[in-house]
Amino acid sequence: MSLRELKVCLLGDTGVGKSSIVWRFVEDSFDPNINPTIGASFMTKTVQYQNELHKFLIWDTAGQERFRALAPMYYRGSAAAIIVYDITKEESFQTLKNWVKELRQHGPPNIVVAIAGNKCDLSDAREVSEKDAKDYADSIHAIFVETSAKNAININEVFIQISQRIPVIDADGSAVKGFKLRRQPSESTRERTCC
Amino acid sequence: MAFQGSGELEDQLEEPEDTLRVSPAEEMPVDGPPALEEPEPLLLPWDRFSSWLHCICVVGFDLELGQAVEVIYPHHSKLTEKEKTSICYLSFPDSNSGCLGDTQFCFRFRQATGRKSSLGCFLDHFERDAPVSLKRDQGYYYGYVYFRQVRDKSLKRGYFQKSLVLISKLPYVTFFHSLLKLIAPEYFEKQEPCLEAACNDIDRWPTPCPGKILTLPIMGVVMKLRIPTCYDKPGTSQLVQSTPSDSLVSIVLPTVHEVDLFRCFYPVFFHIQMLWELVLLGEALVVMAPSPAESSDTVLALVSCISPLRYCSDFRPYFTIHDSEFKEYTTRTQAPPSVILGVTNPFFAKTLQHWPHIIRIGDMTQAGEMAKQMKVKKLKNLKTLDSKPGVYTAYKPFLNKDEDIIKQLQKGVQQKRPSAAQNAILRRYFLELTQSFIIPLERYVASLMPLQKSISPWKSPPQLRPFNQEEFMKTLEKAGPQLTSRLKGDWIGLYRQFLRCPNFDGWFRNRRKEMMQKLEALHLEALCEEDLQLRIQKHTEVETVDLVLKLKEKLTQAEKDQLPVKTGTLPKLQSHIETIILSLPEDLQGILHKPPSP
Repeated sequence: MSLRELKVCLLGDTGVGKSSIVWRFVEDSFDPNINPTIGASFMTKTVQYQNELHKFLIWDTAGQERFRALAPMYYRGSAAAIIVYDITKEESFQTLKNWVKELRQHGPPNIVVAIAGNKCDLSDAREVSEKDAKDYADSIHAIFVETSAKNAININEVFIQISQRIPVIDADGSAVKGFKLRRQPSESTRERTCC
Repeated sequence: MAFQGSGELEDQLEEPEDTLRVSPAEEMPVDGPPALEEPEPLLLPWDRFSSWLHCICVVGFDLELGQAVEVIYPHHSKLTEKEKTSICYLSFPDSNSGCLGDTQFCFRFRQATGRKSSLGCFLDHFERDAPVSLKRDQGYYYGYVYFRQVRDKSLKRGYFQKSLVLISKLPYVTFFHSLLKLIAPEYFEKQEPCLEAACNDIDRWPTPCPGKILTLPIMGVVMKLRIPTCYDKPGTSQLVQSTPSDSLVSIVLPTVHEVDLFRCFYPVFFHIQMLWELVLLGEALVVMAPSPAESSDTVLALVSCISPLRYCSDFRPYFTIHDSEFKEYTTRTQAPPSVILGVTNPFFAKTLQHWPHIIRIGDMTQAGEMAKQMKVKKLKNLKTLDSKPGVYTAYKPFLNKDEDIIKQLQKGVQQKRPSAAQNAILRRYFLELTQSFIIPLERYVASLMPLQKSISPWKSPPQLRPFNQEEFMKTLEKAGPQLTSRLKGDWIGLYRQFLRCPNFDGWFRNRRKEMMQKLEALHLEALCEEDLQLRIQKHTEVETVDLVLKLKEKLTQAEKDQLPVKTGTLPKLQSHIETIILSLPEDLQGILHKPPSP
């Protein structure tokens, strides 16, 4: 079985739960009083996908504005970017759109984009509708899931879908983009409904 | 009652030891490092950072003040004014003309006295397995510099000139230069948040523990490296990358400290063997180079060419006229000191005219210009500015010249053999030469060890026999370097000279310390095997108490020095002590029986 290192970065507004998503995925734990990230924090997790091992090198970036300019260091060379917004904060969804623009302009050409609407356990305070977000994600061919790091909803799914979209490596070692032609990714079938 | 007094005294003496230990109760911050492969002792914030770096400095040019330290990160790091002044001058090229663009080099300066890191004890522990030439440099700091000079019309001076400098006690030059290549260009664009992020990354790294493969995430890239151990077979500790990877994702460093010897010695190629002798003997040596990059590379190459021996005198990869040791090292009233200096300022050609050995290096970037002249140049031919590259000395080497290595490397040049391969050949050559030289010394010193049977648990450990020069010289007839080296020449003369120089002194001190610790360890093991119960039955109460106190002292010392004892020895001794204490009357037990350290 071959091991592939996949650099993944998390982007998004401050306080939307990027670090919490990573902690849930890597450690399966949740801490409501997590400190704001400085620069970025780094964690790894290896998962099996078909006949490959995917070692995710996860760069969880700081959402605070003063670290904004550092983002290119983290999305440079990334196989995937998870852009996170908070479903209870409309503003964070607007920030997400700016991140998509920046990735389109300066990010790696074949980067897999996943959009995570976090804090879906707080549906009473919802400001971003699931449909609007899903439509937007479809329009840019991004993976879309609503997640809750707190209740462990759809966290692993984000990474499974990323694995699915990563180009497979053929015998010559060059990447083949197997999923490029698919307009409608298959994520909707495995998505757990939350709320 | 006298016993009680001494017991209390012991308590007090032990206390400072305990305060140096890091308590496991100190929790990591919540966003601490989860990605570590192996559990490590839990450390306080900035402890991990401090195990790699003292601090990061930004040195800029101020029109009124000249060079100035603009930023020190982390902000709580301490540097004395004198240290700051040194860093300022040493972080900029002496003469700026030749250094447009980005330049990397390194310097070394004396640490101000009287400061002791509270981490020292802990750092010694993980450094125990490091090769002697890679241990932290006591009393000195290295400065690893990334200097940028570009035209900038918006600035008054017309140029942007700034250095990012890593200050560390670790001699991992290749590693720190790679690290700077990642941090510095980003810093010059993005300023302080970038330093904050970098320092934060470094403070989550595992400590620089020899032998482990370390994964060091830094600013979006993962560096992988391995610090060699003293148990590695020399010349085999390079890390190789198993699968190709994207340098934006991860970087594998084959070595943390080795410089490209071939590239560095290229301009003085014909004289490598003589240079090896000069370094081995701790001769005063100065490298005059056109830029700090070339001077520091060459000095580091010189210092490392006698590896695995540690070069024990002072060396300054880049030395300037502002250096606080300038007067001390350049005075004409004394013989030149046993140091290696790298300089770029033409002024030194005059100041150090009286030095016995001078290496002049031209511009290394003109690779086509291989040293053509084989002859060593006479010192009187060294003019101030326009002297040709070469080695200026009146030194007559002890050993005959090895033509084979010269031919082999020359052939490599003609056949355009890759520089890495040439470097490997040269490194192996130096290694074999040094080993041939050192093996007879190792063998003789090992014979100074007393016989195992002379170790008695009830006497102090036996003494090592003293080093006797003539006795050693006699061993050379039968077991000299001729066994492993085909080089002919005056080996005896070379040894005589070596035994008088600081490199021998440093090497012998270290070996003697190791052997004395080995003796202590054997003695402890012998004690453990004794039937102490039987012994105390034959002795008075006072003698038994005395024995307990002595054993306790030995145990403490053994733990402190990390004696190379068999596993299980120390716990066994501890339980012996407990048993003896229990056999004493209760009032004495109360005094002697302390609970094991908390």
